[in-house]
Amino acid sequence: MAQLAFYFDGTRCTGCKTCVFACKDKNNLDTGIAYRKVFEYTGGQTTKDENGCCTTSCFSYYTSVSCNHCDKPICMANCPQGAISKDDETGLMSVDEELCIGCGTCVQACPYGAPKVNAEAQKAVRCDGCADLVAAGEKPACVMACPARALKFGEVDQMSALGERGNVAPLPDPAETEPNYFMTATADSKKFDSTDGEIANPLEVE
Amino acid sequence: MISGFETALGEITLVLFTTLAPTGALAVLCMGLPLIFGSATDRDIARLNKYLCIPLVVSMVGLIASATHLGNPANALYVFASIGTSPLSNEVFAAVLFLASTGLYWLYSFSEKAHRTLLRIWFIVISFTAIAFVVSVGFAYSSRTIISWHMWQAPVAVMCNALVGGPLLTLMSYACAGCQLLNKRKGVQLLVVSVGAFLVNAIVYVLQIRDVFELSNSMASVSELVPLYWWALFAFVVLVGAALVLAWNMIKRLPADPHEEAIVVASRSNMTLIVGLCVATILCLAGIFIMRFCFYMSHITVGLGV
Repeated sequence: MAQLAFYFDGTRCTGCKTCVFACKDKNNLDTGIAYRKVFEYTGGQTTKDENGCCTTSCFSYYTSVSCNHCDKPICMANCPQGAISKDDETGLMSVDEELCIGCGTCVQACPYGAPKVNAEAQKAVRCDGCADLVAAGEKPACVMACPARALKFGEVDQMSALGERGNVAPLPDPAETEPNYFMTATADSKKFDSTDGEIANPLEVE
Repeated sequence: MISGFETALGEITLVLFTTLAPTGALAVLCMGLPLIFGSATDRDIARLNKYLCIPLVVSMVGLIASATHLGNPANALYVFASIGTSPLSNEVFAAVLFLASTGLYWLYSFSEKAHRTLLRIWFIVISFTAIAFVVSVGFAYSSRTIISWHMWQAPVAVMCNALVGGPLLTLMSYACAGCQLLNKRKGVQLLVVSVGAFLVNAIVYVLQIRDVFELSNSMASVSELVPLYWWALFAFVVLVGAALVLAWNMIKRLPADPHEEAIVVASRSNMTLIVGLCVATILCLAGIFIMRFCFYMSHITVGLGV
């Protein structure tokens, strides 16, 4: 099996966050931790000229993102315990709970904010691409739950054929970690280094 | 909303570690120089060895503080699996080497038949481990995706911190030891190192704050996370400046000693000297602590992490 990857179609996503809650349900996550986040990136303004005619540059779009099981996983490179591994067969990332000491180095280093430290267990936790479901021939919970069919999951060659590596704001430069996250951007989307907009739902994604 | 203060408070043990451990390591190194270069009598060496526990304890308190933020320290030995690839592994490995070699040296130094040549060679090894430790602490924060930490000023600042605080802690330890080595000339030599490092450190911090203040990602900007960064630098300058002035006031009372080991200048009864240098060291560490706290407050990644 080749490296597995996510594909996200920004033109289909309605920002309903069903993917977030399907993931929380599947992984039995408590409040405060979500492996998948939906970023709402918004900007622009509406102005009215002397004739009363309105023009707008407003934009708003959604980006659903979790661990991207990167080709250059900086979380794995920085883990002092060697507790993070990338599966040879599927390329999916996972944390060895026996080795993890919950130091949070992976949390600090990941530019996607994907790993979290479970405060109670004091272990790093993260999206593992629903490796158990994938092994059983199914898709990850978020992909199966999406009512707009905006998420896909499969081998990297198939997913990369559908779009570009995630490169829209507020995501970081994909060259940093080479995420296995491909997407079709909306017409309104801004490039990754844009400062035109801001995250409109910070409390949901912190 | 995102708060830099909460981030730093969550990592308070690491703030303590990076404040105390590099200073302690450099003080250990400084305390061994008379032994390495053979400029001390056996009596002085015995006293220095005994009071080596002061910088050693300062280093160990820092390390223990850092270990408390780990969920399962029982797994800490696995850290050796990532030496060479993980900057944090390198740091922990260097810390273990330094503390183990220094701790064992300290215990051996109580031996009635402690061999001076062996002690000297041992201390040379300790000196290298201390330098490796301080450097590795500086580079432990070097992660390409953490834009506010991945800059040359971060490791240089840690090394300067050690060079500012280490000599003061050494002076305090010399005073506590009451050995003949503490004379005005040696005091001034150590203080010059500290003052020089302080000036460099202040400049490095100015350059660091200037650079990080421009950084932001979609979640936050450093100027929002650490709004009082310049005031923190002001506090650092005031506290460390006061520490150096106080240390100078203590040192200038010491008689000059042109013949190296002629005069006993410090004794246990000289409490003013000990207390003065102790206060100077604490003031200096307080200044370093503030800047280390701000360093943790400034954490942002290239992307979505704060």
